[in-house]
Amino acid sequence: MLTKLLLTQHALKMTAFGVALFSAAGVAHADDAANYPTQPIQFLVAAGAGGGVDNFARVVRPMFEEALGGARITVINLPSASGALAHQRTATGAPDGHTLDFASTTYVTSLAAGQNPVGLDQITPVARMQSDVMALFVNPERYPDFESFLEYAQANPGKVTVGGTHTASPDHVAFLSLRDASGLDMSFIPYDSTGNATANVLGNNIDATTTSLSPLLSYIEAGQMMPVLVFSDERLEDFPDVPTTVEHGWDLTDGNDRAIFVHADTPAPLVQRLEEVLKGIFDSEDYQSYAERVNLTYREGWMSSGEYRQRLENNYQLYSRLLSNE
Amino acid sequence: MLENFLGGLAVVMQPLNLLLLTSAVFIGFIGGALPGISGVILVVILLPVTYGMEPTTAFMVLTAIYGATVFSGLITAILYRAPGTPEAVMTAFDGYPMTQQGQAGKALGIGILSSVIGGLVGTITLIIFTPMLAKLALRFSSPEYFALAVLGLTVVASLGGRLIYGLIGATLGLFIASIGIDPLTGTSRYTFNNLNLMEGVGLIPMIVGLFAVSEVMKRSLDHDTHQPLKKVKVKIFDLPILRQIGTTLTRSSIIGVIIGILPGIGASTAAMVSYSETVRWSKHPEKFGKGAPEGIAAPESANNAAAMGALVPLFALGIPGSGTTAVILGAFIMHGLQPGPMFMMTHSSLIYAVFAGLFIVNFMILLFSKPFITLFTKLLNVPYSALGPIIIMCCIVGTYSVCNSMFDVWLMLGFGVMGYLLEKLKFPLVSIILGLVLGPIAESELRRALSMSQGDISIFFTRPISATLLAIAALLLAVTVITPLIKRARMKAATP
Repeated sequence: MLTKLLLTQHALKMTAFGVALFSAAGVAHADDAANYPTQPIQFLVAAGAGGGVDNFARVVRPMFEEALGGARITVINLPSASGALAHQRTATGAPDGHTLDFASTTYVTSLAAGQNPVGLDQITPVARMQSDVMALFVNPERYPDFESFLEYAQANPGKVTVGGTHTASPDHVAFLSLRDASGLDMSFIPYDSTGNATANVLGNNIDATTTSLSPLLSYIEAGQMMPVLVFSDERLEDFPDVPTTVEHGWDLTDGNDRAIFVHADTPAPLVQRLEEVLKGIFDSEDYQSYAERVNLTYREGWMSSGEYRQRLENNYQLYSRLLSNE
Repeated sequence: MLENFLGGLAVVMQPLNLLLLTSAVFIGFIGGALPGISGVILVVILLPVTYGMEPTTAFMVLTAIYGATVFSGLITAILYRAPGTPEAVMTAFDGYPMTQQGQAGKALGIGILSSVIGGLVGTITLIIFTPMLAKLALRFSSPEYFALAVLGLTVVASLGGRLIYGLIGATLGLFIASIGIDPLTGTSRYTFNNLNLMEGVGLIPMIVGLFAVSEVMKRSLDHDTHQPLKKVKVKIFDLPILRQIGTTLTRSSIIGVIIGILPGIGASTAAMVSYSETVRWSKHPEKFGKGAPEGIAAPESANNAAAMGALVPLFALGIPGSGTTAVILGAFIMHGLQPGPMFMMTHSSLIYAVFAGLFIVNFMILLFSKPFITLFTKLLNVPYSALGPIIIMCCIVGTYSVCNSMFDVWLMLGFGVMGYLLEKLKFPLVSIILGLVLGPIAESELRRALSMSQGDISIFFTRPISATLLAIAALLLAVTVITPLIKRARMKAATP
């Protein structure tokens, strides 16, 4: 019965939030930044419970509460439609910074694919806090290095199959951008999860997978999977032998980002205040030890609101072009 | 390995761990019994609580909750036709009719015993064969999954009732499964630009609506306030019944464990396939759906076996075999641990403690399920005019909590009306569920397999496992279609 009680309480709270949101909608002033927060805060997670974005939001939550001197925060998962519902709720709510949208690169890839109606003019990034480096992984029994993969793909056009998560996912656009830059004739097989794609590389059923680095570290340590190409401008400290896309002459860097968004009309001073709070969290020892624990320290995660906005706009252009050629 | 296991048992037997394990089992019981609240949600809610614990204790608790929820979904499935978890949906088909016949206690007893046996088979397999089986599971790829789904779908021909209804039902299930974004090309199918439909129709709104809500509707509209639960006397060990379901238990536990180990399909599919196979091999397939004890034994032993089986690829390869194990993988990462190929070696003491914990959990289920059910039925021993609304309330809250979506609630209520009408037409709901669960597997794996082979169909016949499965499916289909024809021909010949 405990769970039921909790849920009822939760439902009651949600109703209270709804009422609070309605009453506050008309009174969003620029000087809100100083008084923020004036009411409980909602973290909308544009992904299912238990995944990377969800864990990120739930780790940030107590730090955020502390940084704002005991604000009350609820985390709500809205996984439907690749998280588009979370973006929609953020974009249609009050522009008062009390609704924060935690999303990954999937936001911009689904936007480019036309699966997400909330454009960059409707929500604005506060900051990016994580960027997991994208890489091409192979089974080392099949390809000892990137050269052998490249040779095989050139000699056998159309034969190479690369797996990853669903269509228009960060994995998929990473594949498309590699194919676009290298001109190799390869095909992509979308799977339901990273795990299924990984299993098919381990079982030698497909040639490779393009995905982010941190979830696959244990396979790398065991020597069963190997990154042969990282989508980065510099070689990674932990993998000095793995070449980068940029050294192959391809203008291509990619990662799975995790960022925080708010309503596009949120007053600039308030966005700045939120960015400062998040920066403080990012620099804290607690957050850094979490980032280290989940292996997200290969690349600087922090990007300010303005920088990240620029990156999203560029990526949106790139992804739209890549996906429309599909 | 035995030393490791005994070491694990010693950890589990520490008083604090034993206490936590018992509480985990009870939390799992409650969550599993409430429709819509599944193991996934419970594990997510309780994950932050485990941050303060030792990783070993934390994972003993989380896996125990997982095991207990898979079990306790059967309670409400049998008593109210409101499957507490998607894994228990098949259990309702024969469990609820037994309740209506006044045999709730017997049905629950069969369910408990089957769950525990399936769970133990699964746990023992997990303990002994994990590294070996994980390697074998990797040989299963798209062609094999496709063949398995085909094998499951052919059972429509053997299910009781009119064949044409079965086919319509399965097609309806396949159609509903096709709603949403095409997983391979990203094209929207039947979404009418509605964002809520893009992810497709969820299994939980559908099951809760079709089964639980439609039943409350039916009983309210029929003014049926008969309360058969006055005296539920659960009998777990019943020798004649055990003799009757022995074969089913053996076969279903094995099917369950095998399907559980395969990454990508979980305990719900295992329950479905083993139920289908039980109907197919039964001498009296017409008895299913009307309260056949085998109809409870098959899905319950299979889903518990599969739940444990799904942990094999998680521990040995870091690949989750189902939704809940995916969340458990996330929990490992949050604790700074990364399951993968080396995990068994580097963290053997943790893993064997978790194994030992799961082993004990099965006995706890055996021990505590009876008092829990007694308490549960006492609490709900109210007139149906009060109980019906309570069930609907639980369905609404549970369905809402899955995706925090009001749309899903409306969808669920819509399916309630649909289920009510379909049952009035004597339509077999089982075939719809069959199409809904197996359809997406068949579709996307067929297309993935053809992508792998650059469009060459021979991939299904040159890979040994896929070829064998497809041959079995063809053979069984031929037998079920031809046998009645031969019988009819003989009848004609005999009556000149």
